[in-house]
Amino acid sequence: MNRLAPSVSRGIGRVTEAALGPHQSAVIRIGFSVTWLLFLLREFPHRQELYGPDGPWSRPLAQQLISDNGAFTALMWFGGRFWFETVYALAVLVSLLLALGWRTRTMSVLFMVGVLSLQNRSVFVGDGGDNVLHLMSIYLVFTRCGQVWSLDARRAARVRAARARGERMPDRAGPVLWGVLGLFLAAVTAAGRLEGEWFVPALLWTVWLGQALWWAVGRWARSAQPRLLLDVVADVVHNGALLVIMAEACLIYATAGWYKIQGSRWQDGTAVHYPLHLDYFSPWPALAGLLSASGTLVMIVTYGTVLVQVAFPFALFNRRVKNVLLAAMMAEHAVIAVVLGLPFFSLAMIATDAVFLPTSFLRRLGRWASRARARLSRRGGRAPVVDPRAPEDTEPAHVGFPA
Amino acid sequence: MNAYGEDSNAPHGRHGPGDGPDPAPSPGPARGGIAALSAPCRVVAALVLAVVAVAACVHLGMVFLHVAPSNTVSKQHAQAIDDWIYPEFEQNWKLFAPNPLQQNIAVQVRAEVGTADGGTRTTGWYDLSAEDGRAIEGNPVPSHTQQNELRRAWDLYGATHDGDNRPVGLRGALAEQYLRRLVVLRLDRSRAAGAGGVVERVQVRCRITDVPPPEWSGEKARGAPVYRLLPWWTVPADEARGGVR
Repeated sequence: MNRLAPSVSRGIGRVTEAALGPHQSAVIRIGFSVTWLLFLLREFPHRQELYGPDGPWSRPLAQQLISDNGAFTALMWFGGRFWFETVYALAVLVSLLLALGWRTRTMSVLFMVGVLSLQNRSVFVGDGGDNVLHLMSIYLVFTRCGQVWSLDARRAARVRAARARGERMPDRAGPVLWGVLGLFLAAVTAAGRLEGEWFVPALLWTVWLGQALWWAVGRWARSAQPRLLLDVVADVVHNGALLVIMAEACLIYATAGWYKIQGSRWQDGTAVHYPLHLDYFSPWPALAGLLSASGTLVMIVTYGTVLVQVAFPFALFNRRVKNVLLAAMMAEHAVIAVVLGLPFFSLAMIATDAVFLPTSFLRRLGRWASRARARLSRRGGRAPVVDPRAPEDTEPAHVGFPA
Repeated sequence: MNAYGEDSNAPHGRHGPGDGPDPAPSPGPARGGIAALSAPCRVVAALVLAVVAVAACVHLGMVFLHVAPSNTVSKQHAQAIDDWIYPEFEQNWKLFAPNPLQQNIAVQVRAEVGTADGGTRTTGWYDLSAEDGRAIEGNPVPSHTQQNELRRAWDLYGATHDGDNRPVGLRGALAEQYLRRLVVLRLDRSRAAGAGGVVERVQVRCRITDVPPPEWSGEKARGAPVYRLLPWWTVPADEARGGVR
């Protein structure tokens, strides 16, 4: 008990003083938003068939199912082609802005709205990749995922620099965005279109009111205490969400692995042969044939897959083992992307895996990316964009994951 | 707006001037989470911490029970788990498990077409899954319309109908209309009705072929494909052109 108390209080200190894993949360933000962006662009020619009002899963069919299950979708708020096209276009735009980290919290909410709207409108066209994005888009709303590698971080650095010079940089876009979205949300609510389950509408209103509170406290609070409190609250919520995201990833792997153990084909070492020969999952039959030519190889991959999936949650207790398994899993997903023709599923899984990447690796990635960007912009004839304080250099040493 | 997003910058600035559009004077670089708060604020923060911790644990517990095999606890609390999980947290991670699918299921359709001269004719079978397969082959980014739409529409039909093709529940009725609309759309794309013709009825069947076991396994491949034939469905006049084109 004597040793427990100080470590509990140290733990409470850690989860209340900072939003942990700034690089990890940024990399999953970019990963999920880019995955969804690429998916939306890829399906652009097929958007009417998949999600449109006159598709095979028509509006009346969707209406019946949604009034039964209460799922959230903005697509049912209004009928017609125009609203559908608007939602689709906004979903594309918001994915891009979230990847760039512009007004990150708001974009994460709108990103969730876009993902849920399209997926819940047509639940029967998705696969595991859609399922991952669905969950993660909700979890992302609770994170402070724009602390680094974002336009928000750059803007904050500029505000700080301006303030150091004694200047003020008023924020115009923020209040306007807040006002417009609030008006729209109020109109939709008043018109009774926000039906179904209470969870998502409540979340939308909570974030909107929370932002108003944040702004008001920043502007009018006499003492620093209310702002510090809000900051602690945001950190705690972020840390909780990050825990949920990591645990969700573990549940995905554990479920996938443990169910496989029960299957006779995973036991006899031939399982991997079968998906490679399903017509719906073999874009490169010659490659699939090559991969399953050797029984020994198929057996090793079959057992290896189960082993890695089952072991992964436990490997988190050891940094080195975790990193090895992480690399193996990312590699396997990259192979699945090509061989089984599941690029978006694989991207979503790789983005999920990325939450476990070590901070040192992510920082190196960040430095490498900013050097590449500088080189590109020099070649483009522009002056190199060098932030006075690149986000990855502003981290206090203790922020980030131990592993 | 965007108060949260706004402040989500590098942690150094978080308590300082980077926060709001026009915040109060900087409290200095004091960091220390809950320790830096006054007593009343500390109570609120502790409360929030407790709520978040409980919510995260309950959520993860619910998700665990949802993805785990049916067991003592999940049977006892089935209603509470479903209430928590559905509709937004539904998930299924039995990826190729317990056993991978070992059959190629091809959905095929034929139509009864009312011709321009007032007669009717029945088309041959269109193998829609083979069309999908050709679209997927050599395609690095298969579309959901090629890889999932028909495949999952058929799965849905199978899951919501009994052996005599009687629908079970609301989803059964929806699945039938969905599959019908989908095959009519595909027939329209193949111009199955011909010039001046109208698709009046459609019939769907599926051909189930076992994936041959690997040569090195010594297992024998099973015989001929198995068919499942659905009854003829009448296509409503307003649906005959297939909606999206």
